Amino acid sequence: MYEAVHAHPDGQSTVARLAKTAADYGFEGVVVRNHSDARADYDPERIRDEYGIDVVEGVEIRTDDRQSASGAVGNYRTTETIVAVHGGTNAMNRFAVEQAKVDVLAHPMAGDGDINHVLVKAAVENGVRLEFDLSGALRQSGGRRVRTLQSLRKLREIVDHYDAPYVVSAEPTSHLEVRAPRELKALGEEIGFTREFIEDGLAEWGRLAERNRHIHSESFIEPGVERGRYEEES
Amino acid sequence: MKHLPKHLRPRWRYLAIELETWPDERIGRRSFQRELWYAGQNLLGDPGSADADLTVMRFWFADGRGEAIVRVRRGETEPARAALACLDEIDGAPVGVRVRGISGTIRAAEENYLRRRGQDSEERNVVFGNEERVAVLRDRVGDVRLDEAFAGATDLDYDLA
Repeated sequence: MYEAVHAHPDGQSTVARLAKTAADYGFEGVVVRNHSDARADYDPERIRDEYGIDVVEGVEIRTDDRQSASGAVGNYRTTETIVAVHGGTNAMNRFAVEQAKVDVLAHPMAGDGDINHVLVKAAVENGVRLEFDLSGALRQSGGRRVRTLQSLRKLREIVDHYDAPYVVSAEPTSHLEVRAPRELKALGEEIGFTREFIEDGLAEWGRLAERNRHIHSESFIEPGVERGRYEEES
Repeated sequence: MKHLPKHLRPRWRYLAIELETWPDERIGRRSFQRELWYAGQNLLGDPGSADADLTVMRFWFADGRGEAIVRVRRGETEPARAALACLDEIDGAPVGVRVRGISGTIRAAEENYLRRRGQDSEERNVVFGNEERVAVLRDRVGDVRLDEAFAGATDLDYDLA
């Protein structure tokens, strides 16, 4: 299972601290999803060796107009393993689900963003994962939390119906906000998810990273065409 | 009142909890208990939190790290875990919470899961992000004091000045 984190300077803890905490808590990897205007400076190999946890380089593109978002997706697609789009407005939600180059639409229900059957169908078609953001359930209170839980439920019902791809994250911005997978599963169960659903959503980050690394690797030429081993002439 | 015969007494489970916050924050037992009950009530509702119990039985806190033992009715440990995960601030201090393990007795929970480590933290000058800062170091991690807040870091992120 993987957790997708905002590291310093986007959050308050460095990638290394978040990775160490996540490793202690039983995660197999972290995805660094700093916003595109607050990139972190870190050495994934070194952190991987030191704490024995996979570190996936990613980005969450934050902008409000489609044109610059489209440019950013093109730029980051070649350098980052996971490209997410900061959702939460109807324009950006729509943009993200229609772009096959985007891996994840982050927190589509945040702010005044909304999701409907049209967007979810587009997400299925383009393989864009919709994110279930548990941070509101963990860290908000009162009426705002009620609204967040309502929106999670709405998203879950549509995603279930269309069998859309999804990811789950608690979006920690410091090592204090990281919660262990068992805790997240217990919370999910309280707010109407099943344990398997949460586990699957956390694991999906890892599968996504593996797939994209394979596509980026040199042996991959295009879908269905790969450089294999060939017979040596004797 | 005469106490209950053994087969009628509730069966308890004891959750061994680890707490963490920034170095200059303090967390008291009373405020931890209060926030825990609030978290339980907000997530599980009155009936759910009555079932879970969530009484703090033991509590230690020093230097930004703490440990606690929380009592939960047997069979309610998962809702209790969910309520604990929703603790995010105690008296304005952001807290990290983790369940280290669950036991049937307080003593077993303490012995198996809590270390009551001697918290030997030290303040040192470090170079973090090309600037000299003061950091509170312990156990190969450090919290670096920035202008307004702390940054959580590890030995990989700074050099000792």
